[in-house]
Amino acid sequence: MLLEIENLKVHYHTRAGVVRAVDGVSLSIGEHEVFGIAGESGCGKSTLIRALMRLVPRTAKVTADRFTFRGRDLLTMPDRVFRRDMLWNEIALVPQSAMNSLNPVYRVGDQIVEAIRTHSTASRRDAESRVAALFDMVGLQPDLAARYPHQFSGGMRQRAMIAMSLALDPSLVVMDEPTTGLDVLVQERILRRLAELRTRIKSSILLITHDISVIAEMSDRIAIMYAGRLMEQAGTEAIFDEPFHPYSLGLQNAFPSIRALDRSLISIPGSPPNLINAIPGCVFAERCPFVREDCRTARPPDLEIAAGHRVACLRTADIAQIRAAAKEKATWRS
Amino acid sequence: MKAYIVQRSLLSLLTIFAVATILFILFRLLPGDPTAQVISPALDEVAQARLKEAYGLDQPMIVQYVLYLKNLVTLEWGRSFTTSEPVFDVLAYRFWNTLLLMGIGLSFSLVLGVFLGMIMAWWRNGPLDIGATIAAMVSQSAPPFITGLLLLIVLSYRLGMFPTGGMMPPGTNISGVWDVVTSAQFYHHLVLPTITVAAYYLATPMLVMRDSMLEVLGSDYIEFAQAKGLPPHKVMIRHAARNALMAVVTVSSLLLGFAIGGQVVVETVFSWPGMGLLMVEAAARHDYPVAQATFLALAVLIILLNWAADISYGWLDPRIKVGGGSHG
Repeated sequence: MLLEIENLKVHYHTRAGVVRAVDGVSLSIGEHEVFGIAGESGCGKSTLIRALMRLVPRTAKVTADRFTFRGRDLLTMPDRVFRRDMLWNEIALVPQSAMNSLNPVYRVGDQIVEAIRTHSTASRRDAESRVAALFDMVGLQPDLAARYPHQFSGGMRQRAMIAMSLALDPSLVVMDEPTTGLDVLVQERILRRLAELRTRIKSSILLITHDISVIAEMSDRIAIMYAGRLMEQAGTEAIFDEPFHPYSLGLQNAFPSIRALDRSLISIPGSPPNLINAIPGCVFAERCPFVREDCRTARPPDLEIAAGHRVACLRTADIAQIRAAAKEKATWRS
Repeated sequence: MKAYIVQRSLLSLLTIFAVATILFILFRLLPGDPTAQVISPALDEVAQARLKEAYGLDQPMIVQYVLYLKNLVTLEWGRSFTTSEPVFDVLAYRFWNTLLLMGIGLSFSLVLGVFLGMIMAWWRNGPLDIGATIAAMVSQSAPPFITGLLLLIVLSYRLGMFPTGGMMPPGTNISGVWDVVTSAQFYHHLVLPTITVAAYYLATPMLVMRDSMLEVLGSDYIEFAQAKGLPPHKVMIRHAARNALMAVVTVSSLLLGFAIGGQVVVETVFSWPGMGLLMVEAAARHDYPVAQATFLALAVLIILLNWAADISYGWLDPRIKVGGGSHG
């Protein structure tokens, strides 16, 4: 296993109280695997990768039963070692806002050269030819490397960021909303490029997005995140064909499907809970049409329904009934 | 970039021309007859008229103006009413003295201000941040003549650590700028005026740098630079400070506008033989050719420094490119 996370918690200690942005997440990512995390805005998915890349502010407390990368403990690793060995060599990031993640005063190529030379002994010339190769790989003209970020379009910047993330052949590329903010045509081109790159690079990908269709297209395995916890995780097929968690069912209803165009969309009523209040039971209970009394008092454990398919729900025994009811619009009326 | 430099240079020339014109009008609007200093009203009418003719004062205003511009360009700035020295020679010497004091004082405030502002923002709300903010408020509120006099009273008169004024010990034979800048005495004389200038000007670049730095530190490319695994000092200097610097350059052009006033005061307090002091002396003696030329020279100096600030801004920010190809 590349990345192993067990019971990861990221808690922000604020004046108003403890914000449980990530509250007990367990997942693991293997070699050459694309792992997708889907969830609505504010569910903690960005905090999760911030914790992974040590970008959380000092006010945040990161704890876990297990948090390792290729067996090395990420919790106790000193900052210097983490920066030198982990960042970019092992874990690289394609940030959420490619538009603003390039420093406006430096040439795009130089910013990639900087990443390469920070983590390797490559000469400037070697680094530059590496940049040219990377640009070629993501479909950018190599001579664009001498341009400044403001001379790049949104799609070009996103490609440049992808090129930068691959600079040192990292074991894991974290992509935070890689297509958000781009127009659909550019999105499509980026996705196709990513799909093609998947077959050429040996890196695993951790893909984070609120766009279910992107996740479905790219991922081998998917986790559904809600209010700082993982509701369900399984192989892509399983999560779309045999979802167990009411939230997963609700999400599917809320997204248009190419397979059932005549189906009307059903949204989940209500809004996510305030994470500043400790929730003893299931975080989805307030919005769940299938809620039972015990859902509110005890946190549902991660149940392994099938190999690699884990669900945090107390009502998995009644799944046939729940799936049938979830298709009805009336069920989701609050 | 080339187009940008040309454009800025032309604008600066235009500004100098405008200042020269305003000075021409201003000096002719001044109450009292400036010619009274050289053409004594006690002379008989014929002699007065002959002198007026000699000075070209009988010509219509527009002809005088053209003549004035021509003389400006050919460096024929006339002679001092009081010492009869050519004005250009007087100024040439004074110009360097002012440039040295102003240049060193301003560079010192800018460099130190930028550095402190950067550190303050990086460790915001730390002891340095709070202490320096308070110190900046105090030193900026204290007018330079107060700071200068306090420094003189304590360090020069009481403790005798520094000379009480001037640029060189009295009687030193100076034959050029090189002699001055290679003399230890000069630097000894420079300390107090520089501290006075710096205390007054330090606050603005420092606080602007701090604010700008805080804003930059919150931007996505800083977080990304950290994610790239760059060591903190590189994130702070190469990515954050480099961008925050642009705001300081913008403000320092504004700061330069105030520099004239400060310069006059500091040179007067420390008897520094620069253009600021010359301006005060010339005004007191009704030495119009000298006063007029000093005003113009100081204005040109400020315009030149502004020009330098503009150019360095264009160099710092690749997005500034007049006429350059940019898209996206």
